[in-house]
Amino acid sequence: MPTTKTPKVNEVNEFLEIASDFEDPLELIRESLSNSHDANSTEVEITVRDRPLGSEIIIEDDGDGMDHGDLESFFDLGNSTKRGLDDESIGYKGHGTKIFYKSEEVVVNTTKNGSNLRARMKKPWEKLNSRTMPEYEVTETPVRNGNSGTRIKITGFKSGHGFSPASLTYNKIEHYLKWKTLAGSTAHFFTDDFREMDITIRLGEEIDNSQKKLITNKKIEFPPEQLEPGDGPFPEERMCKHYPPRELLVETENGEQTVVEVVGMVGGKEARNELPTYGKHSVQFGVWLAKDHIKVERLNEAISHDNEFLHFFFVANCQDIELSANREKVRNKSSPVYQAITEELTHYLSKITADPWFQKYLDQRREARLARRAQSQRSSVKERQQQIQERDQFSPSNSIEVMLGLERSNCNGRQHITVEDYDPNAEVNALVRQNDSLYASSIHQRLTDHFEADKPLESIDKIICWSYGDLDELSELERNGYHGGGISINFDRNLLTYQNGCHHTIDIVSVQDRFSSIN
Amino acid sequence: MAHSQTRQRDTDFFEIVEKSGDARSGVLRVNGTELETPNLLPVVNFYGGGTSESLYGGGIHRTIKEFINGNEAVNGADFSQYFDGVMTSVSSLTDYGINRERYEDYIAEPIKEREVLDFNGTLFVDSGGFKFLGDRKLDGSDFEVEANQKSIFEIQSKLGGDIMVNLDRPISPDDGYQERVEKARLTAENVDTFLNLTDGSSQIRYLTLHGYNYSMLDTFLTEIEAVIGRDRVHCEFDGVALGGLVPIKDSKEKLITAVSDCRDVLNDWGFKDLPLHVLGISSSSIPLLAAVGADTFDSSSYLQSAINGKYSTSLLSAVRVDDADFSECDCPVCSDPILVSRMQGDVKYQKDKLGAVAVHNLIIQKREVEKVRDAIQSPSSDALINYIEQSLGRDKSMQQHAHRVVNESLGGYF
Repeated sequence: MPTTKTPKVNEVNEFLEIASDFEDPLELIRESLSNSHDANSTEVEITVRDRPLGSEIIIEDDGDGMDHGDLESFFDLGNSTKRGLDDESIGYKGHGTKIFYKSEEVVVNTTKNGSNLRARMKKPWEKLNSRTMPEYEVTETPVRNGNSGTRIKITGFKSGHGFSPASLTYNKIEHYLKWKTLAGSTAHFFTDDFREMDITIRLGEEIDNSQKKLITNKKIEFPPEQLEPGDGPFPEERMCKHYPPRELLVETENGEQTVVEVVGMVGGKEARNELPTYGKHSVQFGVWLAKDHIKVERLNEAISHDNEFLHFFFVANCQDIELSANREKVRNKSSPVYQAITEELTHYLSKITADPWFQKYLDQRREARLARRAQSQRSSVKERQQQIQERDQFSPSNSIEVMLGLERSNCNGRQHITVEDYDPNAEVNALVRQNDSLYASSIHQRLTDHFEADKPLESIDKIICWSYGDLDELSELERNGYHGGGISINFDRNLLTYQNGCHHTIDIVSVQDRFSSIN
Repeated sequence: MAHSQTRQRDTDFFEIVEKSGDARSGVLRVNGTELETPNLLPVVNFYGGGTSESLYGGGIHRTIKEFINGNEAVNGADFSQYFDGVMTSVSSLTDYGINRERYEDYIAEPIKEREVLDFNGTLFVDSGGFKFLGDRKLDGSDFEVEANQKSIFEIQSKLGGDIMVNLDRPISPDDGYQERVEKARLTAENVDTFLNLTDGSSQIRYLTLHGYNYSMLDTFLTEIEAVIGRDRVHCEFDGVALGGLVPIKDSKEKLITAVSDCRDVLNDWGFKDLPLHVLGISSSSIPLLAAVGADTFDSSSYLQSAINGKYSTSLLSAVRVDDADFSECDCPVCSDPILVSRMQGDVKYQKDKLGAVAVHNLIIQKREVEKVRDAIQSPSSDALINYIEQSLGRDKSMQQHAHRVVNESLGGYF
């Protein structure tokens, strides 16, 4: 006789697991902004302070507030009531607020429909880690109708390693707000009745005292367009073009349909820097997939490989992508709808990369780079001219110039030595002619270079060099030998003798000496 | 090089009805025929082999003629709309080893006057320069005809062409500058003879041009002008035929550049209202080249594909005819059970199977050409942009070319 069993959920572990996914206090700000948006707030203020026992974060908004049911959803897991009642609402899994559990204390003070509720949860993180479900106390106080809003105070937030609030700055927060939260929403491009929300962030002076607060809104705006190049060595850097909002209708092979709302810009470094960037552009720009108009993950492969993605800043919003619990990843990448979205986006972006303006922008970059290189070459030529004017005599700086010097030394009664063949990569790099005979030769700036290059001596008839180089080095060679053989140099007769089983004599042609006698 | 505008030949042969960006839609009117543009002229061999009993043709060419006629042999349906304009070439006489008697019989009566043919469309007769390049002879089994401008024009006339082109010396991608100039000069000498042989009252005369970019085309035209004089270049031609593109047919990028630059050269020389025919190019190139200003095309690809056992499913794709699902196509060939059974192999001769496939392939292309025409005639350029994007822009290998013509000739996407 079969028995029916229902799988059980370990509630504490579930809470612990979900909350553990969140590590960064910035994520707490992201979730709070989404909550305030869902509560129809027009203003939200977030204060972050760094305290010895962990950070203190206060979120205060003028939204609809919470009643008993809402408060339960706030603390419960997977019990969100938002989606379905209001299509614009962001939270729907009931996961986001569980980040608040990573703290010493959570105090929620909220007013709705003439009633103020104060909920207090003590040591939630400690209790979860000791496998106890934390509880919260709720106190209800009647208040006058008309006022609503919520204030949440998180004390002793447990940031993950490397995510200490002390490392925050206004600049870093602004970038995060615009890249990862509702504050960087692209929704306003696609609706006529966009709801504004003012966002104020205050950091304790112990975190960043460079300004008192940061005020922003919940929309990302692109830097002003500049379709023509500017002046100076980087004329393309401020070029910027906006690509207006487009709704792409996407249909999967099995007939499912969805809409991708895409808007974006292409711009040079200076134009991109007018956005609240932080760190390398290569990790911020490209093509972002978004849900609820909040950027989630990049899909830079939608831009063909022959284009650098960092010139692009596109946000493609689709409500049919599914997110991981911490909203950092797209979860349904193997679904037909995701595949269809990526195909449609790839097609759309191929039009951007084929846009004549973008080609002009790339041409400007290339031309400016060539102009800079030409300028640098002009400077280099000038320096070289100066060096020539300042020197007393011809002085080669490489083996080719030694060859030129050799040719120039063929006068004034000197025996003619002409280079008939030169292969810079060969062990014996030159064949020279003297008195109608050809000689296997090695041409170097200094005689010592031949030995530094570890070249053989057996196959060499002549070593042609500008000078002998460091005479002590040559003496050491005479003392220690070379390639297992003995060397002796007769400086008066310009001869090098190599003994390695057999006796081999090599002519040393010092071009400098031939040159000196000309002058 | 800029050239001042000069008066063009006063003719009502070509009327541009509508423009969309650089694309044009119009009508070619000649000898009582009307041909809407852009249009594709299938290459037909009217004279290959056989006897009068076999419609002067053997093999698949004969089956094509049966479709043109609407003969009972192909179940009697009317396919004439797909043969509203046809290209034939003097060189088609060399496709079969005919004897002199047969040759003289073939050219004894104009094509449209032959009782065995029921063809009333516009007849474009190419000089066949691309085939005579090597030995410059028209070879029969027991005779040879010197392929010079005079003899070629005589044949073109006897075939009764409505539109004719001069004998040209096509360039090849490997030609250097001097070779191209020399070919232009030789072509120019033919052009001179061609104009001397005709008065333009009874034939429409097209000038052949060769070049893969603006400078080559400008040089070619300059050589022509140097030989025949400025007035004749500007006043005696009714159209231009751009040739020499078959060797680069697999590079859409080069084709677009050649045709687009050709239009620029024609504009700069004061020929902007002359119709531009692109010799030997068709299929997926048609929408791209029509978008940059080509007016007519000709090709035997419909036939060659069929001979190779390919059944077109769109401008871009084909399947083996033995794998084809004929029920997915609503063209008159695939809607006729007898023709379908032939395509399925229920025939004695391969020509009857592959001939039907060829006409299906032609219809696929003609239908797309009609869509291109309709799109150009729409009030906004969006229609042509949408057509190009939907027909070609979704294909990875064609995408960049589709975007290019949209951007360069139709105003762009943004």
